[in-house]
Formats: sequence, C-alpha cells, structure tokens
Amino acid sequence: MKLTGRIAIQAPPEAVWALIVNPISLARCMPGVQDIRQVDERTFEGTISAAVGPIDGNFVFRSVLTTAEFPDHLVVAVEGTDSVTKSRLEMDVQASLAAHDGATDLDYRAEVKVKGRLAILGEMVLRATAGMMIGEVARCLRSQLETGEPPDPASVPSIAGDPGAVAPPIE
Amino acid sequence: MTSRFDLIVVGGGTAGCVVAARASDDPGRSVLLLEAGPDPRPIPDVVADPKRQTELVLESPYVRMYDVEREDGSSFPLLSGRILGGGSSVNNLVVVRPMRRDFDAWQRFGGPAWSYDALLPVLRAIETDEDFGDDPIHGAHGPLRLHRAFKLDDPADPPVAALIEAAHAFGLPSCPDLNVPDPFGICSSPYNQVDGRRQSTVAAWIDPVRDRPNLEIRPDTTVTRLVLDGSRVRGVEIATPGGTGIVEADEVVLSAGAFHSPQLLLLSGIGAPGALEPHGIPLRHRLDGVGENYQDHAVVYITFAGNTELREDYVIPKVRLIAKSSDRLDHPDLHVFMRPSIRMPGVAPMLPVSLHLLEHRTPGRVSLASSDPEDLPVVEPNLLRHPDDVEAMVDAIDFVDRLTKHPSLARFYGELLTPDSRDTWREHVLTAYDTYHHAVGTCRIGPAGDPGAVVDADLRVHGLDNLTIADASVLPVVPHANTNLAAILVGEIAARRLAGRAMELAS
Repeated sequence: MKLTGRIAIQAPPEAVWALIVNPISLARCMPGVQDIRQVDERTFEGTISAAVGPIDGNFVFRSVLTTAEFPDHLVVAVEGTDSVTKSRLEMDVQASLAAHDGATDLDYRAEVKVKGRLAILGEMVLRATAGMMIGEVARCLRSQLETGEPPDPASVPSIAGDPGAVAPPIE
Repeated sequence: MTSRFDLIVVGGGTAGCVVAARASDDPGRSVLLLEAGPDPRPIPDVVADPKRQTELVLESPYVRMYDVEREDGSSFPLLSGRILGGGSSVNNLVVVRPMRRDFDAWQRFGGPAWSYDALLPVLRAIETDEDFGDDPIHGAHGPLRLHRAFKLDDPADPPVAALIEAAHAFGLPSCPDLNVPDPFGICSSPYNQVDGRRQSTVAAWIDPVRDRPNLEIRPDTTVTRLVLDGSRVRGVEIATPGGTGIVEADEVVLSAGAFHSPQLLLLSGIGAPGALEPHGIPLRHRLDGVGENYQDHAVVYITFAGNTELREDYVIPKVRLIAKSSDRLDHPDLHVFMRPSIRMPGVAPMLPVSLHLLEHRTPGRVSLASSDPEDLPVVEPNLLRHPDDVEAMVDAIDFVDRLTKHPSLARFYGELLTPDSRDTWREHVLTAYDTYHHAVGTCRIGPAGDPGAVVDADLRVHGLDNLTIADASVLPVVPHANTNLAAILVGEIAARRLAGRAMELAS
C-alpha cells in the first residue's frame, strides 16, 4: 500500500522540521499512541492502542530515523506487530519540506507492507484509516505550529460501539 | 490402510466434498477423499458460528494466503480455505446462483449441457430454499439449506430503508430473490446457515454420509503428483506427516481449486512445455491451457465521511445492489455493499462502500514457483488490466457517489474521502484494488482442438482416460455471482457424469 500527499502548514520550514524529527512531539499528534520512549538517538519504541474495524488491540512499533537532512530528506523506517493477528507491518516514510509563501508544504510518501492476516483488511480498512490518521496528524500539526496550541481533545470525534462489526470480505 | 480405491477425490474443498459424498452413494464404489488441510471433529465453533467470521479469517489456521502484486508493486492477498470444506468452510455463507447470461457463456465452451435450462434441475436439486420452497426455479429437497435473513418488505433499520429508497430513486427495482435467472436491483441475500450454524459442504454433504464404509476421508494429506501410466492416471503420490506413498484408483477426480488443480497437473507433467521446462519437470501430456485463463472479480473500496453512526451487521449483510456501472450496459456488472462504519478512537467515523466488478476481461495465470509441491503456486491475477474494466470501476465510483447524495442516504453519508477528488479516482482504482476471492478458469472447459481447453464438457481431462476435474477451475468465464454455489454445481455435475460413466461401463 502506497500513500502520498501534501500537508500545507502556515509555519516556517524550520519549525515544522523541528517538530516532525522529534517522535515524542509527533506522537502527541497521532491518535491512539499510548506511550513512546527513546531507545537511542535515532530509535524510538511505542505502542498504539486502537480499535480499527475488527482489530481491537495494541500495535507495538519501533521507528528508526534513518535520514534527516533539512529540509528535503527525512526518512523513517517503522516496524511493528499487532497484538490480534500477530501480523508484521513495515512502513518506510519519506518526507520533504518546501517553503511556500511564508508557509511550508510537507510532502510525504509512505510504502506500507503488511505480512500476515492483517493484509486481508488492507484495502477495506487500513487505507481509509491511514488516510484519516494522516488527516488528523495534519490538523494537529497545524494546530501546534500555527497557533502554538495542542488540539482540544474534546474536538476529536470519539466513537463508541462494537468494534467487531467489520468482517473480512470472503464471499 | 487401503492403497487402492475405485475413486480418489483429490481435494476436500467445496466441490470435492460434494463429489466424494455423491460418488459414495453407490455402496459398491470405494471412495477416498484426500484433503491437505485438517478435518477437525466436531467442526470448531470458530468455523461453524458465522458470528465468529472475523476471527475465523484473521486468526484461525484454516485460511491460506497467496500474495499477489499489482502493477505498481504493491500487494494484496488471495485466500483459500485450508480445511475440509475449503472455501465453503471459511466464506461468508452466501448462496448466489450464476446468472442466466453466465450459463449462456459457459454453453459456448461446453455445449448445451451447460445451458441454464439444462442445469436448472441440478441447481434445484442442490438446495432447500426455505423461503421459496418447491417452485419452478427453486428446490425444496436438496442438502444445502438456505434462507434470506432479511426480506425487502421486512421492517428495516433506518440506513437500510434509506438505501432501499435511494436505490429505487436510481431505477434499481426491489429484487426479493437474487437467484432468479436475471437478477437486478436491490436484493436480499440468501445464506447457507441453519440455526446459526454454517452449512459448509462438510455439514451439508459429508457429515450425513461420513460413516459409510465405502467412504474414507484422509485429512492432512498432500497430493504431490498424479502417477501417470500412459494415458491413464494410475493413482496419486501422497505426503503425510507419517511419510509418503502411492494410492491407486480406477478414477481420479481433481478438486484442488483454481490455484492447486493446475499446480498439481503441472507438477505431474501435464501442461504446456514452457510451463514445465524451467522447473525440470518432464512433459507427460501436453495441455497448453493448464493454469491459463485465470479469472476473478476485482473489488475497490471507497470511503465516505460518516455523518452519523451506521450500525449494520456486516457478516450477514441484509441487502446488496446488483447494478450497472453504466446506463449504457444491457446487464448488471456490479455488486455493491454498503459496509459498516470503521471506527477508531480519535478519528472521525468512516463509511466504506465496496464495489465488486463481476467481469474480468484480461485473464491471468497460475504457474509453478518451483517443482516442490509444498511451494505455493505463482498467481498473476491480471485484474483491472483492461481499459473497460478500469472504466467500469471509475463509473461505479461515480454511481455510488451520486447514490449517497440522495437525500435519504445523505443523512448518513458525507463527502467521499478515499479517493477524494474525481481526478484521483482512476489512480485509486489501479493502486487500491483487491479481490472478491472468486478465482476460476485455470483448467477450463472446451472442446477437443480448443488449444486453451483442459477438460471436455463432461469435465474429463482431454487426452487422459480417467481423470476428471471438478472445481471452479473448469469454469471458462467467471460468473456474475459469488462462486461457491457455482463450485457446488460443478461438483454435482461431476458426480452425475461419473455415475453415468460407471453405468456405461457396467453395461
């Protein structure tokens, strides 16, 4: 699964860069991140708790910042395992910044590989969810960088209900 | 353990169970059913209980994945059931007949014996339709019990009522029975479950006859090749946890499915020389069509913003649209399902819709990865390679986008999120398609002299004396329907042909 897009932020590239190269800061903008800890200068580990369709569990991940050359070459490799299907997910993310009329365009390109049963839900659930998460991250980044304020948690939609209602499509 | 039988059925999937059960109706015929997967007894609750479908597919050991690539290098899995009953033990339990136009297409390859009129009595004999019973097109005495969990005149939840209203406004009529010859519109779906338990071909065909002394079932047994003796199949070579061996038979039926039936033929030296030579397998019998003509149904998911919570039971979806991707068509080419919301804390609700294209214009291929029977075959589905298929999917997005803007559905459906702008729809179709899991065609029917044909109209392999293929691989064109019932139909046809042949030989 490949994901590409652009996030426009009304802030200078230096400020955007400082935030996105710091996983601790970035994690505040990612829905479901429960904890994140630094392993070494470039490596972080954490857990995302999520109920995505039928998957209601934890996703344990490790991210490694492999390249960080301001402003146009950020590469992060993420590996993780979900607690329900024990599937392995590998994601390579590349990002670059470009100044644009006093603002910054953040271009990203991610390639996601899922090894295991979770792949069955790839197009049904994961792509849309990834898209919404990226949208949420973008909203949060703008909020932090454009107003200096973290988003109001109450403004984030919270959805209750049975998380197991989406089943894989083998018909 | 007996090493010789009158009939060996290789593969206890959907069709293989039907063949084995029906062939053992003759107490004078010894039948061996070989299945690579397990035969857990009693049937595990995760298999039998449709409410556990998600767990069955995502966590159980009974599903096998075959990774395939799109043109952009991304991948998605094809699936099969690795358990007695095959797909019928792991699928979503729908019982959908091929359309009349599918039989018309098959008739062009198999002759009048494959026409709708010729096979309607077989379709009726397969089922006990608890809603329609014994009428000119339905059956009341067959092993497969089916019913519709929801009928269109039942009181409907608001989202379902809204969908029905919108569908009617878009010219899609109510279709209370999608097993009519030419279904079209908004249809209630029939399911094969009884008292909340799955009616796989194990439950419906095998279990009632399991104790017959002339039927032996050997699970966890992989057939590694067919043993040929000239134009006869002398038997099969098997591998079990306990070792390897050869079992002989007068007749062999290959029911290993659209992935593994061609694989086993190729491993046995039956196929095109070019498909065997790279793996060092000597050619025993040339049949260029083996593994060719792979057909399936492409699926594309699109996702709308949710204006409210859409609670719907996906496992037993109440209705589906059988629709045309374009008004220019004279027949429906789509299944459309409104899926329940995707919910993730911290993210707004999303409402997916799945678009299932029922036609495939650029057949793919199944080939060997190696000469090792344990290696999965290579599948090249070639989905959405034809411009008309891509166009149909793009048109389908447009149709559903308009449908959700009908006032009744707009209460629930907001803007289209994935794909977003119209100029990205084609890219989304090409990079995000998946499969309906309806593989067929890799050992297709056709007359002698047809270079792509593997079996004749009686499902007997061309040029071999005693080898029949009975699974969805024989279907020359993927039907405009889910394929489980089509596989059952093939199994029943094969059983009848074998019985007829046995009578001929006896006389």
